[in-house]
Amino acid sequence: MLSTRWIAKLRAGLVVTGLLAVAACGGAADNADGPVRVSVWAWYPEFKGVVDAFNASHEDIQVDWTNVGTGPDQYAKLKTAFTAGKGAPDVAMVEFQQIPTFVILDALVDMGQYGANDDKSLYAEWAWSQATDGDKVYAIPVDGGPMALMYRKDLFDQHGIPVPTTWQEYADAAAKIKAVDPNAYVASFGSDGGWLNGLMWQAGCRPYGYSQAKAKDQVKINLTAPECEKVVKLYGDLVDKGLMAKDKFFTADATAALDSGKYWTWAAAGWTPGYVAGSLKNTAGKWAVAPMPQWTAGADEQGDWGGSTFTVTKQAKNPQAAATVARELFGRSKTAWDIGLNKAFLYPLVKEVAADPAFTGKAYDFFNGQKVNEIFVPVSGKLGEFQYTPFQDFVFQDLNDRAAEAMSGSRQWSTVLGETQKNVVAYAEKQGFKVSR
Amino acid sequence: MTRSIPITAPAVDDLPPSPRPVESKPRRRRRRVTAHPVAGALFVLPFFLVVVAFLIVPLGYAFWLSLSSKSLALGTRFTGIDNYVRAFTDPVLLDGLWRVVLFGLVQIPVMLGIALAGALTLDAVTTKFAVAFRLIAFMPYAVPAVVGALMWGFLYSRTFGPFADLPTLLGGDPIDFFSASLLLVSLGNIVTWAWTGYNMIILYSALQGVPREMYESAVIDGATPVQIALRVKVPAIKQAISLAAIFTVIGTMQFFTEPQIMARFAPQISAGYTPNLYAYNQAFAYSDFNYSAALSFTLGFVVFVVAYAFVFVNRRRGARS
Repeated sequence: MLSTRWIAKLRAGLVVTGLLAVAACGGAADNADGPVRVSVWAWYPEFKGVVDAFNASHEDIQVDWTNVGTGPDQYAKLKTAFTAGKGAPDVAMVEFQQIPTFVILDALVDMGQYGANDDKSLYAEWAWSQATDGDKVYAIPVDGGPMALMYRKDLFDQHGIPVPTTWQEYADAAAKIKAVDPNAYVASFGSDGGWLNGLMWQAGCRPYGYSQAKAKDQVKINLTAPECEKVVKLYGDLVDKGLMAKDKFFTADATAALDSGKYWTWAAAGWTPGYVAGSLKNTAGKWAVAPMPQWTAGADEQGDWGGSTFTVTKQAKNPQAAATVARELFGRSKTAWDIGLNKAFLYPLVKEVAADPAFTGKAYDFFNGQKVNEIFVPVSGKLGEFQYTPFQDFVFQDLNDRAAEAMSGSRQWSTVLGETQKNVVAYAEKQGFKVSR
Repeated sequence: MTRSIPITAPAVDDLPPSPRPVESKPRRRRRRVTAHPVAGALFVLPFFLVVVAFLIVPLGYAFWLSLSSKSLALGTRFTGIDNYVRAFTDPVLLDGLWRVVLFGLVQIPVMLGIALAGALTLDAVTTKFAVAFRLIAFMPYAVPAVVGALMWGFLYSRTFGPFADLPTLLGGDPIDFFSASLLLVSLGNIVTWAWTGYNMIILYSALQGVPREMYESAVIDGATPVQIALRVKVPAIKQAISLAAIFTVIGTMQFFTEPQIMARFAPQISAGYTPNLYAYNQAFAYSDFNYSAALSFTLGFVVFVVAYAFVFVNRRRGARS
């Protein structure tokens, strides 16, 4: 029997010489030593409890969790690690819009080969379709952000302004709000790629298309379809007329404005109740949630803003164990979802968790006792298919930069999407893609 | 250092040429005569290794990266100078370069002017207050740039900052420090805040080295304190001023931290707002490490040209006067 010190030396030697091809040996040694250790990068709030729950319920696999930063900060580290060929964790939290980006970097393991396709029926259809490409399972959905309209019920009631059910009514309400209080705005144009994307999604705009399984070098970009343009026109008009503020979301200014009656609405997402309850103390109890205003009266079109998944990286030492971690950290785990729903305020993409009366029937003090999930849950059910490009960072960044030009007056709002389309197509072609509309 | 052994071993040349084939003997001889340089080399070795490991090798690697192009769909292939052609014709990079040049043209003279005025004042006034002021002026330099930028982000905020609402006291509109028109001014203020004290101390130290006799003779000649400051002290520390200026020029060309942090507050900071920010985004947002490396080398080249031009102009002017 080998002494543990000898094994440690051997392992160190393997790493130093870069002989990772013999990683199977390492795995075997792991099993002889004890449980397989799987490293996880994630930035969920209250995640320690979820990891503890996993480790308590698994003997053969143990999770080592690190929070290396939120969103772009973590992606920068991941991309560096994938370029370097080492340094990535076994399992990484990745948002939906980033999945094709990491797929094309050849960074993600297809969990389909470890049986992950069995989980298909567990998750909301739109989420599963974004996490997969045919039979290839690149990600396991965790949380989402079905959108709805948060509004100051007290102010709308007090001034007799009807809660908008269409975007035309929303624009009318914006003018009335300004008339009532010159310092108030209907909302802020938040300069957030995911938010604007959600609004476009809700308008029936499907600007992107990509499937690596079908054609690695084919991508669809169509940002100038009427369904997309009408969103930017509506919001651009509101900004130009001074009815919509320009604070970037999640800044101190935007949060303070939400909490002071300066903004009366926020087209928000399923995770918002948790976010706002923690940061808006003055206006707690004065907000309510209504379904998203529609583009056509009586329609039921919906969109999503945000959401994340677990992926297994190609650098995983034991991809099978890593896939188990990705599938079971949340998955069907009651303990994990208890933390996820009640402490981290995630919107669950596991259908049975979302349908559970404990979730749909939950009354929120922040919304004066309203059971807001009764609105969010059906939205998630209505979300159709929506795809992203394998270079979504570039698309969102360019869209934000062009919108910023429009906000500063150096560009007409009507040219924002056209210019973005032009830049994105040029970028895609430079990256070797054939672009279709 | 590699050069030092042959250069410091002239003894080898002094020896009579060996008639025997160059085999074992020269090696033994060489070892004997170069014993001293080897000791010297050993002293330099730690520094040399660090420079090689953390400067030469990464630079070489980055240069190697910059000679390939990576496209998401086609993979990586060797393309020679294509990335550099692309960089020099990339409107985003050129816009960013132009922006930092404009920024520097205004911000550097303002900052160095304040620093010089402060240093001259400190040199002329010798009260306890001056000592305290010296310390306070230097303090912003001790604040990490990230913390400074975040702090100013809040100070500029309309909700939390004291400045944005000042015009409303006179019936004006609140100031939006993050608007497109004011953004460079807001950033310039942060940089000036952080670096003026540092430059002031450099100039003040240089003033300490000027022989006092020069001032005495100026006083005897009837010069006023202002004349002494401008006609005697400033020319005396010209070297230090240009040193401070050159460091500032280089720092400005590499403008990164403040805009990167401020982008959290200011949507107007685009992906290519400064060249360094553009290089960062190319690598860490768009995964194009190859183009990012080319951008970095291009920026390094531009910094070199600008800095050298600055030194050259300065020398010429110095020679003329």
